[in-house]
This record gives sequence, structure tokens and C-alpha cells, in this order.
Amino acid sequence: MSQRTISYRYFMSRIALAITITGLLSSNVSAQDTPQSHGSKSEATIALSYYKKADTARTAVAEIKAKNKNGKFIPAINTWVNFYAVQNKEPKLINSTVTNSKGKAVIVLPKEMPLDDSLWFTIVAKIEKDSLYEDATEQVHFKDASLGVTLNPKDTNRIVTAKVLQMGKDGKEVPAKDVAVKFYVQRLFGVMPALEENSVNTDENGEASFTLPKNIPGDTAGTLGVVVKIEDNDKFGNVEKNATTSWGSRLSLIKDPFPRALWEPYAPMPLVITISTLFGGVWFTYFLIFFQLRKIKTSPDDDEDKTVKKN
Amino acid sequence: MANEKFDLKKEIEMVREDCLRPTRTFSRTTQVWIACLLIVIGWGLYCYIHQLRHGLGVTAMRDYVSWGLYISTFVFFIGISHSGTLVSAILRITKQEWRRPITRSAELLTFVSLLFGGIQPIIDLGRPDRIGNLVIFGRIQSPLMWDVISICTYFAGSTVFLFLPMIPDMALCRDSLTVTDTRYKRFKKWLYKFMAIGWKGTKSQWHRLEKTMNIMTIVIIPVAVSVHTVVSYIFAMTLRPGWNSTVFGPYFVVGALYSGSAGVILGMAAFRKLYHLEKYITPKHFDLMGRIVLALTMIYAYLNLNEYWIPAYKMATAEGHLLTDLFSGSYSSAFWTCQFGTVLLPIVIMAFPKGRSIGMLSITCIIIVCGAWVKRYLIVVPTLLHPFMPIQEVPGSWSSYFPNYVEFSVTAAALAGIFLVITLFSKLFPMMAVWEVEEGIEIEHDKQLAIELKEQRIAEDAKAKLLEKANGEIKPKVLISEKI
Amino acid sequence: MSEDKINEPNKNSGRRNFLKFGALATGLTLVGGGLQKVFSGEKGTGEKVRLLSPDGKVYEGDKGNLCEVRPLPVSNEEARKGIPNKKFVMVIDLAKCDGCKKCTEACQAMHYTESDREWLKVFTMKEAEADAPYYFPKPCFHCDNPPCTKVCPVNATFKRQDGIVLIDNERCIGCRSCMAACPYSTRFFNWSHPDQKQTAALGNIKYSPEQSVPRRMGTVEKCDFCPDMIRQGKMPACVSGCPMNVIYFGDQNEDAVTNAAGVTVKLSKLLSDNAGYRHLEELGTEPRVYYLPPKNRKYPVPDMDKVDRVKNTKKPTEMVMDNM
Repeated sequence: MSQRTISYRYFMSRIALAITITGLLSSNVSAQDTPQSHGSKSEATIALSYYKKADTARTAVAEIKAKNKNGKFIPAINTWVNFYAVQNKEPKLINSTVTNSKGKAVIVLPKEMPLDDSLWFTIVAKIEKDSLYEDATEQVHFKDASLGVTLNPKDTNRIVTAKVLQMGKDGKEVPAKDVAVKFYVQRLFGVMPALEENSVNTDENGEASFTLPKNIPGDTAGTLGVVVKIEDNDKFGNVEKNATTSWGSRLSLIKDPFPRALWEPYAPMPLVITISTLFGGVWFTYFLIFFQLRKIKTSPDDDEDKTVKKN
Repeated sequence: MANEKFDLKKEIEMVREDCLRPTRTFSRTTQVWIACLLIVIGWGLYCYIHQLRHGLGVTAMRDYVSWGLYISTFVFFIGISHSGTLVSAILRITKQEWRRPITRSAELLTFVSLLFGGIQPIIDLGRPDRIGNLVIFGRIQSPLMWDVISICTYFAGSTVFLFLPMIPDMALCRDSLTVTDTRYKRFKKWLYKFMAIGWKGTKSQWHRLEKTMNIMTIVIIPVAVSVHTVVSYIFAMTLRPGWNSTVFGPYFVVGALYSGSAGVILGMAAFRKLYHLEKYITPKHFDLMGRIVLALTMIYAYLNLNEYWIPAYKMATAEGHLLTDLFSGSYSSAFWTCQFGTVLLPIVIMAFPKGRSIGMLSITCIIIVCGAWVKRYLIVVPTLLHPFMPIQEVPGSWSSYFPNYVEFSVTAAALAGIFLVITLFSKLFPMMAVWEVEEGIEIEHDKQLAIELKEQRIAEDAKAKLLEKANGEIKPKVLISEKI
Repeated sequence: MSEDKINEPNKNSGRRNFLKFGALATGLTLVGGGLQKVFSGEKGTGEKVRLLSPDGKVYEGDKGNLCEVRPLPVSNEEARKGIPNKKFVMVIDLAKCDGCKKCTEACQAMHYTESDREWLKVFTMKEAEADAPYYFPKPCFHCDNPPCTKVCPVNATFKRQDGIVLIDNERCIGCRSCMAACPYSTRFFNWSHPDQKQTAALGNIKYSPEQSVPRRMGTVEKCDFCPDMIRQGKMPACVSGCPMNVIYFGDQNEDAVTNAAGVTVKLSKLLSDNAGYRHLEELGTEPRVYYLPPKNRKYPVPDMDKVDRVKNTKKPTEMVMDNM
């Protein structure tokens, strides 16, 4: 049993690692979907977004799209994008990267982003001197928010509380009011809304509470990952935080995952018994006959009346 | 009291001579025949090696029709192998005297067709090199495994069943070898000695042989039935339209008996002609076998009715597509030829005494055997071309099937192999169970004697009665029955 | 086994280094078949390519030095057991499918299959004369009462505890009982030697039933739900390759399925809201693939007349070769 738990945990940790990198990995893109290029450069659009992951790593994602022959917007792949931070109204290059098969260029932001007077930071994404596309620029600014999750594991009401804090003028963190926080549960390939109406606004303490519904399937121990998110907020962008609860409904272990069955390696006993009885009986008879044949072979040359049948 | 009409000793001498004669000759015709068979087998082997090297892709089979001529032939050969059981075991159990000259050829046909039927699925394997996996990883849930077990059991049984009645004959061959035969003498001497397993014809040996034969006769019948039942199960255990049928077990068993006994008749006719056994295998035998085949064909026709009429009445979706194709589609000509030409027509022919004459019956049986082969093909292939999912946008070679030269060559080689083994067997061993025929003659002789004795008694009685009348004395009547 | 692979010149020296120094040592990116591309070796062609590493860094290198490596597969024993406490399930929303066959292409790229071999085939279906036709993507159903697995004489195809039905082509004897038994025509047979190009593309990788490659002549293959991808936390190729977000995939034990857009929904709700069903339920095979009915479709109705029984893409000479 413990073996199983260990491999399961290992598996989950592998998944967690993989999920964080999934978005960054590219895959082959068929050739006919390349953007049009007839002599002159074509126009590309940039959509820039900002993410703060659960591990507080901050990334900027620029999604580049361009029109193909049919006038449909498709992802522009393998395009260099330069990312800038604005310091004292001067853009400063942070990093450059190339878009993946989904047309997304992703960079990790430095820990210390230059802030303006009202504590906002600015990210600029630019396509510059590209062979296919005309120069394009997109600029966004956000404030840094820290998202915390608190919950009492013994709480029978299963309340999850998220707290949103932002940097105050005096360098202290102050609660952020009226921020929409969404509550999700972690699933194998993504996060699922904990309820259909899973958005709660923070109060003046920067807190938003949510009652986790009953009967959400967890693992065998009832462990359930909860993910709290601020999504596409004008001020804070995308912020995310995880917590682990034991409020999931427990998955009952299958005692014997490989029972005797017609489609399993081992056959149902009635079948085994039937076949072995039937054919065992026949082969037993065969051996009796072999035994008799041996006796015929070794039978002594005794009989006086051997002419009974032969002449 | 001597009998002028029935010289037992002379009769038996004659039987022995007639039976052993073919084993002493090896005519030019036989040599040419064997050479021809070897050429066919050689070409088949070449094609098989080609198939081994380049995969089953060299056949016409593709992903929809993944079983073709090989599996059809497998079913057909296994069907033919039922002859031995029917004729030999059933007639032995019912103590039919007329069985005596035909048991050996029937049992041989079982043995050989089983041998070559059994290798058909191996020829059909994608990875024959992994055949050992059947032993290492064998799953008893698989119908194919049941086939393997059942066919091995039947093969062992039919080998014993063929061998048991051969023991006294082997002793006879062994003992009469020194006098006449010169060809391959040392080999034959060794072979006969080996196979006679020290047969001396003692009372205890006869007793044991009879005992084992009685046991085998009983055991081999259910084993034979099991074989063809599980052969049908590799189809009937699927959900495929046309195969998903509860009647498949008996349908295949009866189909096997019907084609198998027709095969026996063909064997009888061939050996009768080639080895001049007209005296032993008589028109009476053909008439009686004809009646058996007639009965089996009628049962087979009845099962065909069940197999096709019941679903045809309902025309369920998937089954309906298949039946439409069989009744009026691309397979209709073959299907109706099979039903009318090889089932109903033989019934009509064999219903008349003239239809059971040697010539007519042989022709009828050729029709039956060929029809049975085509019928197996019609069971295997059209179903595979009518899956539940529609066949859409597939390569042309997938959407239809007709065996190509590789499959025909390999199958022809298997058929030639059957003929070759039978020929070689008949050149080594007597094709009639000599002792059984002798026993028949002895029984006949005893009967004759008994009848004569009875007649004599009656005559004596009559005399006595006359005397009695004359003398007025009464003699007890019981005496007569006692003496007979 | 792995030793002779390592000793192979040029290509595989990169593999060895890659494995030795860990997954993130060189710039890498994932391509179709669950393969990772790395730069390695000294050969140069002058043509430059860019690769993206998982930490967001870009490496530019020479195309000639590009090579593919594949994460080492799990053992055969592990592959037969499957992932504990999982029950994988697929949902296909027929209302959203526009028949573009991108799923088939993704699958074929993933498994290096030839173009006529569609593990996931998009059918054009029509129930009754008066009905409108619709597209019907059909993978392997990974049945819970699998007819194919029942009839296998050597346990070469097997049902895992996570519900996936796989084939071990190192054990398969090629009897094709499973192909005869499958009511959904899901299984394919390797009638001839595998395509040379595929063999070359795969290099000398170790076989595992979880990745179904390298394929072998004389054995059966089919849709495998990409368990090697699942182990990497990724969804099967067809699911993430679907531009219409038609296919959902997930764990039934978690009661959640996810589609290519990353939208995770409650499985039970998805099925009950949309009246989900399983194809040919009456056969009792208990498929692990559910369908949502093709109602309120958002794409033009397919033209049934354009669907032929036979695809005529081959040149006449090739067809002659086929029939030889």
C-alpha cells in the first residue's frame, strides 16, 4: 500500500513540474499555416499579459498573431520579441525570446522591477526589425499583489480564505479591496472551478472567503489541491496561489486492481476448473492407454491358446 | 463339418495379400505423383518463406479482412478431420459390421487433415517465431487457446486411435516382410518392428488392445465434437455480425461431419480404384455411407436455415448489411451456389438409390467438399468486410479481399501435403485394417456355420419329429436353441 | 540493451550526454512524438534553428547538430500495471467537431504512423435517411469489458488498472484474434516491415507498450491514449491537437476532464447536461470514451456524398504493388 502512495506522490510531483512547463513547450506546426508574406512585411498584433505564479515567479507572456492568406489571425511562431521595463521613463531591455508554436513568447521577470511613483511597474513588448513583421509595440502596467490562502484543516465548514495585499506608500503591505478572487481545485490536467459561481470579491480586509463544496473527489487520503486566482485584473494582472486541504472525498482503493476475469491475465476459477477437468480427464485416459500399450509391449510370451483369434 | 463355399484359410490369405500388395510396389505412376506433390509443396514453401521475410503484407489480407484463405482453410481441414471419428468410432460403437474395410482410411484422413489443419493458423501468424509465447504466456480465456488445447488433444487422440488398430497389422507386416518385400527393407523392418510394439497376438495382448480400443472409441467422440465447437468459438465469441451466433457450435460440428464424411467417401472411392479393393469396398458401402451423408446434409441444411433465416427475418442493422451482401450483393452468387448447389442438390441426388451409386456419389461428394470449403470462406470473409463502423476513405486494397497467389500457393501446398502423407502412408501400411477384415470374415464364417448348424438341427429335428410321430415319443425343444 | 545504443556513433552520444546531465542541460523543446530536441555534436550545416528551453531561454544552434531524445520509458512491468488510482476517460463533443482531422494528424505525428493508418479516424456518420450527417472522431474506446483483450491468447494486449488497453508488440504473436473481436475496427496490423523513414526518425529507442513505437512487423497496434504523455502530465496528442476543443480528457476518479484550451470541467455535469452517450452501448463493451450528441452544430453539415469507401490518393503503380 505504501508503495502505491509513494509512486502516486512521485507521479503528482512529476505532473506539477510538467504543468508549469507545459505552456512553454512548442510542438511542430504545419507549413501551410505560416503567415502570408509577399514582399512587404505584414502586420502583427501583440497581446501582453502578466502572471504571478504560486511560487511567486513572475512572467510576462506576449502572444503574437498575424493574418494568414485567408485573412484569419493565426499564431506567429519563431518570432523574436524584446521585453522592456520602464525606468525613469526610459525603456530598459529585460530579455528577448522567441515565440513558440502557439505564438507565445514567455519571459521570467526580474525580482526587482523598477516602479514608478505610485508603485506601478511597466512592461513593454516589442517586435523590432523582424524579417516578416512590421515593428509593433504593446505596453502594460501592473501593481504587485501578494495573494495568501488560509484555511483551518479541522474546519468542518471547509472555508477557504484568500487575502490580497498590495504594497502601500510607506513600504508596508495594505489590504486590497474589491478584487475578484476565483477558487479552483487542482485536477490532473488543469484547474477546475470549485463551483460554477466561484468568484468572490475581497472585503475591506482584503479577504475573500469561499466554502468548498462537499464531495469533490480527492485522492485516497482525501487530499485536495485548492488554487486561488486573481484573473485578468486591471491592477494586478494574474496572480495565483495554491493550498492543500484534506476536504476531498476519499477515493476508495481498489483492493484488487487485477481480479480474475476474462479480460485479465488470470482466468475466472470456474473456467479454469471446467477446462482442466474436461481436458485433464481426456489426457488421463490417454495415459491409461499408454500404460496399456506398455503392457502390451512387455507382455510375456505365455499364452498357450494364442490361436484364439489368430487362425 | 467342412464347408465347401467358405474356405476360411484361403479367404484370409487373400485378404492379407490384397491389403499388403500396395505396400510392396512403388510404381512409376506413384513416383510421378509424389514428384508433382513435392513440386507443389516446394513452391508453397518458397511462397511461405517469402511471406516470412516480408510479412503477411505479401498476401491479400489487410486491416479489414485480417483473416482470409488461411483461416477458412483451417476451419475446412479441421472439418474434414471429423470423418475419422464419425465413421470409425460411431460405427464401432454401434457394431456396424460394414465398417471394417473403411475404418483405416477414415482414421488416416482425420490424422492427416488435422495435421495440416493445425498448421494453418501458424501459417497465418504474423510472428510464428513467437509461437512459444502460447506456452509461456498462454491465457486460458482465449478461444484460440481452447483451439490449441483441443486440437492438440484431438491430434494425440486420433493418432492413438489410428495407431491402436494398426498394431496387429504391423506385426503382420513385420512377419511377412522377410518373405516378399525387398525395397527399403531395413527401414521397413525397423519401422514395422517399432510400430508393432512387440505384438505376438497373445490372448492377454488381444484383451488389452480391445480394452484400449473400447476406451478410445468412447473418448474420441466428445473430443472431436469439442474441437469443432471451439473452432467455431473463435468466431462466435466475438460481437461481429454473422459470427455472433449461438448456433455456431453445432453448425460447425455438423458442417464438419457433412464435409468429413463426404471426404471419407472420396477416399474410399480412390483407394478402391487405385489399390483394387473392389472386393472389400462394395457398392453396399457406398450406399450406406451415402445415406449417412444424406442425413448429415439434411441436418446441415436445417442449421443453415437457422443460421441465415432467423437473422434475415429480423434484419437488425449490422447483421442486415451483411445478409444483404450475402443474399443479393457481391457474395450472392457464391452464397446461393453453396446453398443450392452444394447442400440442396446433393440432398436431391442422394435421396435416390442411383444417386448413391459409386460414380454419382463420388461426384456428389466432390461437390460437397468443394462447397464446404467455399462455405468456410463465406463465413470468414464477408463478416470482416461488414464491421460496425462504416468503411470510409481507406486504401483500395483494404476494402475488398480475394486471396492472391501467395495464399493460394501455400494452401495448395498444404493440400498437397495431405495427399503426400496419405500416399506415403498407403505405400508403407495396409489401407484396410487387415485383422478387422479377417475378424469380419471369421464372424461371417461363424455365422455361416451357425446357420448350417441350425439348418442341420432343424433337419434333425424334423427327422426326430418324424421318428417321434412314428414312435410316439416327445423330445424337449429347448435343445435347438441351446446349441445355436 | 541500452549499452549498444550508447555506443552508436554521433546521434546517440548526444543522447548519453543528455541523460547524464539531466533534462535541462541543453536547450530543448518538445516535438510531435513526445520527443525532445537537443543540440549536440559537431556537425554543421550552416542553417540555424532556435530552440526554447523550459525556463524560457532561447538557444540558437546549428540544424545539423539537432537531435531528438525521448525520456526513458517505464518498464514493461510498470506499463502493464498502469497508473494506480486513475481511470482515464475521454469525452468527444460532436457538436463542436468540424471534421478538420487535426486530431488524426497530431496522432500520426506522435506515433510516426503512415498516412493511411488512422488510429483516431474521423468518420462521417448519418443515423437515418432524414438525419443530418455529422463528424465522428473515433479513437480506441479502451473498453472496460474489452472484447479484444478477452481473446488474446498470450496476454499481449492487456487492460491496465487505469483503464487503458495497451498492446505489447514484443509479445504479440500476430494471430489477429483481437482485430476480429474488436467491434469498432480500431486495431491495425503491421503487415510489412515498418517504414524506413520512421525507423530512422526513431533511432534506437527502447520499446515500451506505453509509446507503441518502434513498431514491429507482424504485430498489432492501435490508439493507446498516449500513456507516455500522461506520465509527463500531458494530455494525449489528439486532445491537445484539436483546434476546436472537441476532445476532453481526464481522470474519471477526479470527475474532471480537460480540453485543448485548458478548460477543465466536471465530467459528470458535462455528460448529464449534454446527454452524453457511448457509441454502440448495446454491445456491452463499456467504452471509456463518451460522446456528446451533435446537436446545435456550429459548422456546415458534412456532405455524405463526398465520403467514399475507398480513398484514391495512391498512384496506379503503387496500387498494383499493393495487390502483388
